[in-house]
Amino acid sequence: MDKKIIKVGYGGVEKVFIGENQELAFLGGPCAIENKDHAFKMADLIGEICHKVNIPWIYKSCYDKDCRSSPESFHGLGLDHGLRILSDIRTEFGVPVVSDFSEPEWGKATGEVCDMVQVPAYLCRQTSILRAAAETNRPIHLKKGQYMSPWNMKNSVRKIEAFGNDQIVLADRGTFFGYNMLVNDMKSFPIMAETGYPVCFDATHSIQLPTSMGNVSGGQREFIPHLVRAAAATGINALFMEVHDNPSQALSDANTVLDIKYLENILNQAKAVHEVRLELLDKYGENNVHQE
Amino acid sequence: MRYALNFWINMEKTMSTRNNIPTINDVIIPIEEFAVVQENVIFKEALEEMSYSNIGIVCIVDEKNNLLGIITDGDIRRKLLKVQKPFSAFLIDNALDHAALNPLTIYATTTLKEAVSLMEKKGIWDMPVINEDGKLIGLLHLHPVVKALLQL
Repeated sequence: MDKKIIKVGYGGVEKVFIGENQELAFLGGPCAIENKDHAFKMADLIGEICHKVNIPWIYKSCYDKDCRSSPESFHGLGLDHGLRILSDIRTEFGVPVVSDFSEPEWGKATGEVCDMVQVPAYLCRQTSILRAAAETNRPIHLKKGQYMSPWNMKNSVRKIEAFGNDQIVLADRGTFFGYNMLVNDMKSFPIMAETGYPVCFDATHSIQLPTSMGNVSGGQREFIPHLVRAAAATGINALFMEVHDNPSQALSDANTVLDIKYLENILNQAKAVHEVRLELLDKYGENNVHQE
Repeated sequence: MRYALNFWINMEKTMSTRNNIPTINDVIIPIEEFAVVQENVIFKEALEEMSYSNIGIVCIVDEKNNLLGIITDGDIRRKLLKVQKPFSAFLIDNALDHAALNPLTIYATTTLKEAVSLMEKKGIWDMPVINEDGKLIGLLHLHPVVKALLQL
């Protein structure tokens, strides 16, 4: 299977290339767009760190959080207001942006603003969402559902391809291990990469304990650096992390978002492991152990 | 038997009106009457086509009908004993990943005797028939051959 390199970014923003032998890309930002000031502040802070680490970056934030555990939880700013802020961030910071969408009819508007559209993990096999994502003609960040095997993601990939889009990045955000618990099967990266598309590790959702707090999800942030190093060593093309300047006050995913004070440290490690992996591949080759 | 039904009926008619030795063209199953799949199908889809055709072979072709590989009942048996991945992962692999990529093929210009001798020598039941450009045009399956010879 030919390995695809996905170009993210249209117009005047910095272009990010995700794929084989490329630099590790970073998809990051606050889980939800809380308000314009906060979204801008985070873009400014994260942008500065990414510049320092020298890592290609796509700003991630969502305007609608449709999979919260409680109806009381913050649901988001909504389509129009949220997309206006994302559009302003593109213009102001020159960074490509990615947001998910959970209603098929939001796909068109999301694709008109965002450089990349994201399919939420819970919806990763919904034909109507996949069709809407494909029809944006933007690159698609397709998250593996926590309930899906990595090989079965090929069905979602085939649906997107059937709808005319072949710009896909597949992400692992953990797999249900019984109730309220996720684990990461590092084999998911080479397995999903067999599709020919780049793969991404979603570190901050992988350490989530889904709805473990009754009506809120918990998380074990202390495992983020361990899993990031492991994923980068296994072989990923992009790293996804939700970042906040004040996690305890974050309006979404307060128990999993990474405190921005750790971001530089983790990105440096991820980048270093990624570069060592590429060197090793260059020296020893890939797939040099066969089953038979 | 859905696939080769027309073939069997036509063959019956042709053979009943003649008494001479059958040629390879009398017994080639035409391309639309056995399992032929495109290169992008998954293993499970290829197996479904085989089961549908009731013949233990599926031919994999590209969009220009060039023969890329075949999967036979025997290949599946051997794979089942060898592949260690979960069955659900095995079934969603690309069919081509589990195909024999350089199968024995024959031209329609080969004599039936030569073709059958070759099948006997190799112990096989099926041989894809290709033209000089490598494009799949049919299948030589042992049963029609036996039937034709029995009618002599």
